[in-house]
Amino acid sequence: MHFLERRIVLITGKGGVGRTTVSAALARAASATGKRVLLTELGDPEGGYSAIGRRFGREHVAPEPVVVAPNLRLNHLWARTGHELFLGNALPGALVRAAVRSKAVDKFLTAAPSFHEMGIFYHLLTLLKATRKDGAPEHELIIIDMPATGHTLALTSLPDILLRLIPGGPIARAMREGQGFLNDPRLGEAWVVTLPEQLPVTEAIELLEGLRETRMAAGGVVLNRYPADPFTPHEREAMAEVLRSTPMHGQLEFERIGAAQHAAQRLLGAVHVPVITLPEVYAADDPDPVPTLTDVLARAMRGTP
Amino acid sequence: MSPAFDSPIAELLRTQRVVVCCGAGGVGKTTVSASLAIGAARMGRRVLVVTIDPSRRLAETLGVSRNPTEPVPLPVERQRLAGIEAPGSLSAWMLDPQLVSDNVVRGFSKSPEDARKLLDNPIYKNVTAMIAGMQEYTAVEALYQFVLDDTYDLVVLDTPPSRNALRFLEAPSRAGAFLDRRVFNLFLPGEGGAIRRMAQRLLERVMDTAFGADTRKELQQFFELFGNLLGHLNHNQAEMRAFFARPDVGFLLVTSPTQEALTEARYFEGKTRDELGLNLLGYVLNRSLAWARHRPFPRDELLPADAPAVAREALEKLRRLAGTEEALVAQHTALAADLRQRAGGAGVAWILPGLPEGASEMDALLTLSNALLTKDA
Repeated sequence: MHFLERRIVLITGKGGVGRTTVSAALARAASATGKRVLLTELGDPEGGYSAIGRRFGREHVAPEPVVVAPNLRLNHLWARTGHELFLGNALPGALVRAAVRSKAVDKFLTAAPSFHEMGIFYHLLTLLKATRKDGAPEHELIIIDMPATGHTLALTSLPDILLRLIPGGPIARAMREGQGFLNDPRLGEAWVVTLPEQLPVTEAIELLEGLRETRMAAGGVVLNRYPADPFTPHEREAMAEVLRSTPMHGQLEFERIGAAQHAAQRLLGAVHVPVITLPEVYAADDPDPVPTLTDVLARAMRGTP
Repeated sequence: MSPAFDSPIAELLRTQRVVVCCGAGGVGKTTVSASLAIGAARMGRRVLVVTIDPSRRLAETLGVSRNPTEPVPLPVERQRLAGIEAPGSLSAWMLDPQLVSDNVVRGFSKSPEDARKLLDNPIYKNVTAMIAGMQEYTAVEALYQFVLDDTYDLVVLDTPPSRNALRFLEAPSRAGAFLDRRVFNLFLPGEGGAIRRMAQRLLERVMDTAFGADTRKELQQFFELFGNLLGHLNHNQAEMRAFFARPDVGFLLVTSPTQEALTEARYFEGKTRDELGLNLLGYVLNRSLAWARHRPFPRDELLPADAPAVAREALEKLRRLAGTEEALVAQHTALAADLRQRAGGAGVAWILPGLPEGASEMDALLTLSNALLTKDA
């Protein structure tokens, strides 16, 4: 896997697959290698708690990155921040101040189609380009925990859409620059998180196909919550025989483990990208699965089993 | 085998005109919606299921994988397999927000000329589907039209996925923020006091600098033409709010057995019934293991006398899994009881069974629809 060589990685996946937990573990594992990592999510304009913040004991995060661990910062991408940054770069100073204060401009940016996404995109671009005094990137790797809905495709295809609308000017320049990060497989890739179950595996395969159409490179798949199998093949066969005639407790788990193995095989047969398998960590044994998952991911990043 | 149609859910499907399935992403809402629709069609109703983002397999099973422009009846052969007989029928439609939006433009622009100009406007063409809340708004609009049409006895609506089950209910007001005459007027040159004119000039300068005068003019055309539709859309919003409060239009929360499910249910109940005055039908608990609560714990005497040694070793290991499973089943059973209590006399709380491994999509839908239509054992 080339995770650590990228500048930007999008973590995608349908609802309920543990995408946020995996994002947090990936960020921890990457920052532990010494990389300066920024973990981020798309801010919800209607408020509510921050899913990613909760993995770090915070109910809310802000547009301004804060340090949550060595080499690891946390923030959310915020449309308004992007708008302000954009206006600041595109307009003369006095006009920016007037524009930022203007209720009319604010209403427009909030209400007009695609401007919300554009603001988020511009905020992201600014963070990607931020440098330290020595010219090195401030955030060497940005990991985005994407929302469950179709936003991944929206974010990755946004530059194309806007460039069709607005071929010239500073917005177009920013979009081309953003495209340079997202569509260059050396700089950006997307990872799909899924579960070892029938439907999630199907959806992960579909998501990977969808990615191909957006010109965003697929980095790999994280197969989350893979259950350990205590049975030898022989025992499994004998037990299946018994359970056919006598249903009892443990059977659901027994069958689920078998189904997980089938689902994993189907996934491995269908995709041509690296697949990292994370163990199932029961909440009762371990209220915070992030450290355990971080260890597994760190080993995968180092290339050691 | 045909189910008895004697469950509380069957009763709802017999009397409702509209069932809206709400729920967070990943709870199996689309599958539950399709199962409800099949169930109602088996009871002899003419049913339409409107879905937003089905998995490809489900779309293929329902026959809507090609993104059709209008509802498609399920193929006769598949209706027969599903146990649907006349007068019952099942059609499905995968909602395309752009399509609904285009129909609104065609139907309600001042003139065909205006409609064509708006449909050709690059801003309209590329970004309408991205307006916040537009997907939900168009779902509501489409639903409303189908009910007015009277082609169907029952419409089952699968709402767009979201973290929050209630996003959908708030959509009209969110889309409303965009569909606000005052916002639109800001972009149109012309009347207004000195402050309005100043604000407009500032906006024009901002826009010209950011993306050039040509794009700014296209934006203004878009706002002008779309603005003409606002009267209709806002009128419709008021009508739709009244429509959703009708007693034969009801809401079901589809949920999974997680710790958050109860919090979500509480919130949903407060919002639908108490705040918005809507008809809360109840809850469907999906992917729950509560149905397995009567299974015995694996003891040696459950093995046949002639069981081989390897089976005895395996049973020892199964016992460890059984411990975990029992705890999980107990947790799900308690959650189901809580939901039942929450639903009280006013609504249903229905617990769906597990699905056989490797079941085809149609088998799964039939298993669930059987469970939905038969009184709890």
